[in-house]
Amino acid sequence: MAGGKAALVLCMDVGFSMSNSAPGEESPFELAKKVIQKFVQRQVFAETKDELALVLFGTDSTKNSLDRDGQYQNITVHRHLMVPDFQLLEEIENEIHPESQQADWLDALVVCMDLLKTGTQGKKCDRVNISLLTDLNTPANSEQLDVIIENLKKANITLQFFLPFPAEDDEEDGGDADRRSPGRPGTGKGLSREQQSGLDMVKHVMLTLNEEDGLDEIYSFRKAVEQLCMFKCIEKRPTAWPCLLTIGSCLPIRIVGYKAVTEERLKKSWTTVDAQTNQKDDVKRETVYCLDDDNETEVQKDDTIQGFRYGSDIVPFSKVDQEQMKYKHDGKCFAVLGFTKQNLVRRHHFMGTQVMKVFPAKEDEHAGIALSALVRALDGLNMAAIVRYAYNSISSPQVGAAFPCIKKDYECLIYVQLPFMEDLRQFTFPSLENNKKFTPSDKQLSAVDSLIDSMMLVEEEGDDNGDQKDMFKVHHLPNPAFQRHFQCLHHRGVSPGAPLPPMEPWLKAALERPHVITERCRGPLEEVKRTFPLTEVEKKKKLKTSAQIFGKDSEEPDAKKAKGDEEEEEEDDYNFADIAEGSVTSVGSVNPAKDFRLLIKKKSLPFGEVCQQLTGRIEQLLGNKNTPYYMKSITCIQAFREQSVKLGEANLYNGYLQSLKRSIPNRGLEVFWELLVQDAITLISKDEVEGSTVSKTDADQFLVSEEKKEEAAAPPVEDTGDVDDLLDMM
Amino acid sequence: MAEWNTFYRNEEDEEDQEEGEQSGDYKATGRDSLVFLVDASKEMFIKGEDGQPSNFDMTMQVVRSVYASKIISSHRDLMALVFYGTEQSKNPRNSFKHVYVYHDLDEPGAKRVQDVDALRGDKGAQLAAETMGSGETSLGDALWCCANLYSDIKLRLSHKRLMIFTCRDEPHGSDGAKDRQARTKAGDLKETGVVVNLMHLMKPGGFDVATFFRDVISPPEDESELGLQLEPCDKLEDLKKRVRAKEQKKRAMARMNLCLGEGLNVAVGIYATAVTARKPAPIRLYRETNEPVRSKTRTFHTQTGSLLLPSEIKKSQVYGKKQIVMERDEVDAIKKFEDPGMSLIGFKPMAKLKRHHHIRPAVFLYPEEDEVKGSACLFSALLTKCSERNVFALCRCVARRNFPPRFVALVPQKEEVGEGKVQISPPGFHVIYLPYADDMRTLDPPQFPTASQRQVDKMKEIVSKLRFKYRSDAFENPVIQQQYRNLEALALDMMAPEDIDDLIMPKVDQIDNRLGPLVQEFRDLVYPDGYNPENKAAAKRKTADTGGGAEKKPKVEVAEDELRAHAQNGTLGKLTVPVLKDACKRFGVRTTGTKKQELIDALIAQLGK
Repeated sequence: MAGGKAALVLCMDVGFSMSNSAPGEESPFELAKKVIQKFVQRQVFAETKDELALVLFGTDSTKNSLDRDGQYQNITVHRHLMVPDFQLLEEIENEIHPESQQADWLDALVVCMDLLKTGTQGKKCDRVNISLLTDLNTPANSEQLDVIIENLKKANITLQFFLPFPAEDDEEDGGDADRRSPGRPGTGKGLSREQQSGLDMVKHVMLTLNEEDGLDEIYSFRKAVEQLCMFKCIEKRPTAWPCLLTIGSCLPIRIVGYKAVTEERLKKSWTTVDAQTNQKDDVKRETVYCLDDDNETEVQKDDTIQGFRYGSDIVPFSKVDQEQMKYKHDGKCFAVLGFTKQNLVRRHHFMGTQVMKVFPAKEDEHAGIALSALVRALDGLNMAAIVRYAYNSISSPQVGAAFPCIKKDYECLIYVQLPFMEDLRQFTFPSLENNKKFTPSDKQLSAVDSLIDSMMLVEEEGDDNGDQKDMFKVHHLPNPAFQRHFQCLHHRGVSPGAPLPPMEPWLKAALERPHVITERCRGPLEEVKRTFPLTEVEKKKKLKTSAQIFGKDSEEPDAKKAKGDEEEEEEDDYNFADIAEGSVTSVGSVNPAKDFRLLIKKKSLPFGEVCQQLTGRIEQLLGNKNTPYYMKSITCIQAFREQSVKLGEANLYNGYLQSLKRSIPNRGLEVFWELLVQDAITLISKDEVEGSTVSKTDADQFLVSEEKKEEAAAPPVEDTGDVDDLLDMM
Repeated sequence: MAEWNTFYRNEEDEEDQEEGEQSGDYKATGRDSLVFLVDASKEMFIKGEDGQPSNFDMTMQVVRSVYASKIISSHRDLMALVFYGTEQSKNPRNSFKHVYVYHDLDEPGAKRVQDVDALRGDKGAQLAAETMGSGETSLGDALWCCANLYSDIKLRLSHKRLMIFTCRDEPHGSDGAKDRQARTKAGDLKETGVVVNLMHLMKPGGFDVATFFRDVISPPEDESELGLQLEPCDKLEDLKKRVRAKEQKKRAMARMNLCLGEGLNVAVGIYATAVTARKPAPIRLYRETNEPVRSKTRTFHTQTGSLLLPSEIKKSQVYGKKQIVMERDEVDAIKKFEDPGMSLIGFKPMAKLKRHHHIRPAVFLYPEEDEVKGSACLFSALLTKCSERNVFALCRCVARRNFPPRFVALVPQKEEVGEGKVQISPPGFHVIYLPYADDMRTLDPPQFPTASQRQVDKMKEIVSKLRFKYRSDAFENPVIQQQYRNLEALALDMMAPEDIDDLIMPKVDQIDNRLGPLVQEFRDLVYPDGYNPENKAAAKRKTADTGGGAEKKPKVEVAEDELRAHAQNGTLGKLTVPVLKDACKRFGVRTTGTKKQELIDALIAQLGK
């Protein structure tokens, strides 16, 4: 079992001074309560098995096991060591109020220690911790201080203090600056005498317990709420992965790997419940399989087998066969394939979702030295190891890089997965530099330059030690999604009827650009805005879809009424496929008939004009005197006829066909005409369209009589039409 | 097994997410298509000097490799293989002479790979001569035929590309009419959105693109792409590279605004340049017919059996013994912080980007001039300045609707062009996802003495002996390759799958040879006599095993009052399953389940009485 459990006591001051605050500021009580809520919330939602107790001091009543002879008064053990649950959260929300007494915080500390002592007896606890939240405004009796410290040490109890003010004046400059509060609440007022002496005692305690980092465990309320990072130190440790690092067959080094960085996810997922009963058991999900036929015939799961796609082929491939034929390997390994220059392994090629740190095996000094030699050698040569990594025999092996990492107090390798050839997509993008249209001018470049100047998040510290101050450390921010998730769950759990709460202001602010930067970059941003004209292009796409919807809605019902089933199906066919393409604005030469139909349908151009475009294309095609072109022309004429009939507009078509017929001999298109006759494409008669001036018999005669009348036929309207005339006619 | 699951849980989640992204894309844009139009004239079959493969042979190898890679990476893309300048004709309506449609536009499958394989090498040339022969050339007809292939497809095509492979710069000799016809047809194709590329091959005397092909092919995608000046290909690798660069249609995962400040939005597209390829998911087939079945999932009420509408369902989680219920849209609303987009926070020097701050593969950022005019210019200026000053931009990024924000580092990358004017790295920003505090695990690094200079120097010798030039595309994934070889073998009724080369297997013998005595020298310097890292590991495990077993046994007995206390405190979960089972036995609790929670529930019910 990785990581034992912990016993924690939260000890909060609810005495009267805690509710003092400057106007418009939250009182220390409110802030401390928030810290506790956050903490418990996190414990509840993390479902840790750590046990937690809550002790309040400064309460009107007294309830603790040391309550004797007027000692340890106004201290209440609200809850004994227990796994925290929602009830505790509800109690904190509803039952903890500022009270009107005061109590010695050292007394409270003793109560906590006593509670831990009795509570953890006979249990194995890895960590025992007391968190004390107080404003230090009560005088504390320091007589017993050394005894207390001695006992803390003996019981291996760690302490954390949460105060309304920072413990050190320079706290904010050291690590992460508090960026958003120019006038910090709590600090301006100066400390009272009690607070000052209390603070000295706190520092004394902390430094005695831990000489080096003792003061790091003193937090301000505000910072605690905002960062919540200190909760990390009571998290589970990652599991060790022991293995052998091998170089060839004869040089193994015993190592142990730990997942160091990986995207943490919420451990619980949502279950579906019935809306009425909220019962999970009332809802059942079922997957059925059915054939892809008209009836969607259901088949039993047992009647199905496993298969795979190999391109267009479907290959039945049972689990057993697959297991037998699959790639097998020897399992767990961390084998060096070779070494390469670090700069050949590009940052953007890092794959996978984790970084593993590789240390020497525990308590193996020789492995320690061997790995140290490797780490230092790589570091000195600026190289990295390319390794084959397999977590175990079931998991797929990877290729990855192990980089050397030398820190003040340890050395290790950092392993990251690298891509396989199959993972890469070699995209090429148009050049930006060599494109005159996109080349920024010197003025534009300098505007960007000063923007970068004004927005640098890292600054050299004033003094000459070269220290840098980073204003925005992402890896110190808690994942806002978790914060929000738990806030909402908490809220819903405590008050089920209420709508979800708004986002917490501190969380919102924590995600924003630091205040200083916002101020500083204002000018340069304006300059960039001035020098770079940016215009949003109207979204053609959107127009297209709306046209699609429009076209569908307004036309389809009509079409359905007017036409038989067969035609309608055909209609739908190009309705979706082609109108969606949307780019047809004139009759093109590739598929003129289709374009023509589409344009007629869209009604974006007058009928006459579309017809003219079509006949233009027909004439062009006929110019080629080649069978495929003839065929294409015929489909155009067919489309012309069909649409004309549909719209009841016979004259343009009839006129064109008549003049076309007249021009046949001159242009030597007899072969084409024969094809037209074969397909029986003739004039539109009165029977078909009312407005037509051609009778049924005339229409039938139009094709048949051709040969006979060859010579005699006098052109009724015009002389031999050449191409231009034909077009003008429209 | 359990351990393995927890270890890989994240990856599976990731997979779902990625899959969602990809399928979404497909729906929105339709299929990609690619037609190989290959010259089959006599000139194509002339062998190169020193037994170099003929142009035809080379082309077939490229076609084969594209087929095979499409099967793995994007099997839904449509491909066709058409020959022109053949003696025989074969096309849908047989209306074109000297055009041979070898493969109609369709998804590539095992059969097709085999077909193309048959056209490779000397035998392939013979087969080509027998089935198709070489004859007259009319590129116009060929192009027209290809246009018909496109127009016969009922599916929506998103991206249409046609590649002409030829070594003849004057395909019609001096027949001006044919040239004209070909140009017209090419124009038609381009008008319908087909991108026509020329993969011109080596020809004695040089290939002059200007004489004819300049008007046939699509204009370069941008001014700087010096498509026309390209030298003809004479190497297979070059040709493969060139085809590959064109063949993959880049598709933006998302388009969004990069907001530098109030009212200052640069439109950008996000592209996935490296996506973990996975074994394909199995599909279910009907046992009788081997036809794929569809699966339908439905949610119904256990009691009434009626189907439940989304409005009749809520979502719930249980925490700290309390059930918390939310509406489905509330669950989404929790995740929403802001609309998709990137907001600039500021800049940091590159040194501040830590190598170990890695949580998922990077994506690529490129401006979208079509969305906001002027984007490319500002983007280009940012890119120039960031790379000049060696800084990265820190942004807050919401990738898609209802996604919580992540912070990303935009790392500048200048364009790099390699030999043969092939772009090696495109200009743009790499988007590196940064971890939050929650994503960083706390470790207790063990402390050891460090190695001495002599030991380090010896290791340096070893390292130097084994150095090589890493290339990101050098390693194939053996798991995926094996799976596809297996499928190929089954699909083609082969006796056994082809063997794969496991490229990520260390070449132990070679390494040992190269290192020679260095290994022993290093071992002598570092490991004392009698220390065997391998033995010790094994020995230790053994003792640990027996020790663990011995330790576990006494634990099984848990006092009754302790159990009651656990039940009261709600801490039964702390006990192990064997302990709980034992407790159930002792209290006479009959349990059907073996799951921990079931045991706990049963115990609580019993002890609560």
